[in-house]
Amino acid sequence: MDTNSASRSDGWVNERLATLDPGTEWEPDVTAGLLRLRELRIRGRWTSGRWLLAATSALCVCFCLIALPSPKVLAHRCLECSVAVWRSLLPSAPAQAGLKPPSGRTLAPDFSLRDASGKDVKLPDLKGKVVLVNFWATWCEGCQVEIPWFVEFQKEYASRGFVVVGISMDDDGWKSVKPWIKEKKVNYPIVIGNEGLGKQYGLEGMPLTALLDREGRLADVHHGIVEKTATQQKIRDLLQESFNSTN
Amino acid sequence: MYTVSTSSEAVADTSASERHLDIETLFRAHYGRVARIIARVVGDRARSEDLAVEVFLKLWRNHKAQSQNVEGWLYRVAVRAGLDELRRQTRRGHYERMLAWVQPRIPAATPEDIHSISQKQTKVRSVLSVLEPRQAQFLLLRSHDFTYHEVASILSMNPASIGTLVSRAEESFRKEYIKRYGHE
Repeated sequence: MDTNSASRSDGWVNERLATLDPGTEWEPDVTAGLLRLRELRIRGRWTSGRWLLAATSALCVCFCLIALPSPKVLAHRCLECSVAVWRSLLPSAPAQAGLKPPSGRTLAPDFSLRDASGKDVKLPDLKGKVVLVNFWATWCEGCQVEIPWFVEFQKEYASRGFVVVGISMDDDGWKSVKPWIKEKKVNYPIVIGNEGLGKQYGLEGMPLTALLDREGRLADVHHGIVEKTATQQKIRDLLQESFNSTN
Repeated sequence: MYTVSTSSEAVADTSASERHLDIETLFRAHYGRVARIIARVVGDRARSEDLAVEVFLKLWRNHKAQSQNVEGWLYRVAVRAGLDELRRQTRRGHYERMLAWVQPRIPAATPEDIHSISQKQTKVRSVLSVLEPRQAQFLLLRSHDFTYHEVASILSMNPASIGTLVSRAEESFRKEYIKRYGHE
């Protein structure tokens, strides 16, 4: 003990702290301790190796899911399933409403916009067809889920008088949209929308999907990701409905 | 008496190029003292030995700690490990007392046990467990005969201010002890 400490130490406190002395007769067992340390070091090495292996495996799986096409499709299907299950589990999630009755439908806001090839896409020109108008953006994750469904619908029902029109709301327009539609092999016309048109359709958040009957009237407007089977049924109903009315 | 940084040359191969630390040599040199410091706080010798081994394991894992003042790091971590264990014990004791209402009574301690449990030690430990960790560290290191200079080195503090800080810690200890147990 140095002189400085001796002069300042508090005898009363030291007396009490001294009672904690474990006793001079006790000598910690160095050999046993060293054996235990060696054992823990070996176990620690193994544990850290196991973590490294787990991390590497996770990275490989992520890489495969992102880079390779077939796992990517699998991941996409998993995402679709998850969305469907999540929706079915939510008690508050309302079931997608049915179509408006023909008498309650109003004319859809008109538009005339150019597609990627410079060709005009005018809504009045599509009269006589059932039209699915989809407001979307390349950055919108929900849109990425439903666009492949619209590609399927276009393929399946185009021959029966159905068409999808995608209206992109990307700020930088064709710069990001063109490469995207090329990569995703979108088989229906895509145009670049504007805020005014979005407002007319009641766009508050992406995505928004409107279904128009053959008369160009709004039969359904859905905010958020659509339900694939319900939307497919609505398209069928609209195609059938128009078929009935024309016969 | 322990020297904070000079003995590191004897126990660790700190060649500038490799900075390789011989953990087993260090263990043989300091294990006893580290375990005894922890035993002061914890009171249970077997548990103290376990905790002391864990301190060395931490050192082995912590490459940053191996680069400078290894002994200082060891004693600092040892005191902290002891205090953490003491707080755990205090909490456990609290819950056990609460559960005593619903659980069957634990058989009474044997006369031998009763003899081994020092009332004074229990009181001192309970006061240490509620002090600020820094103050408890000062008191424990001082009670283990570390000089002010060594305490300063272990806690990486200015040696000039240690005297004042230790006095404050002693004062806090005294107040808390008297508040709980009176002038015994």
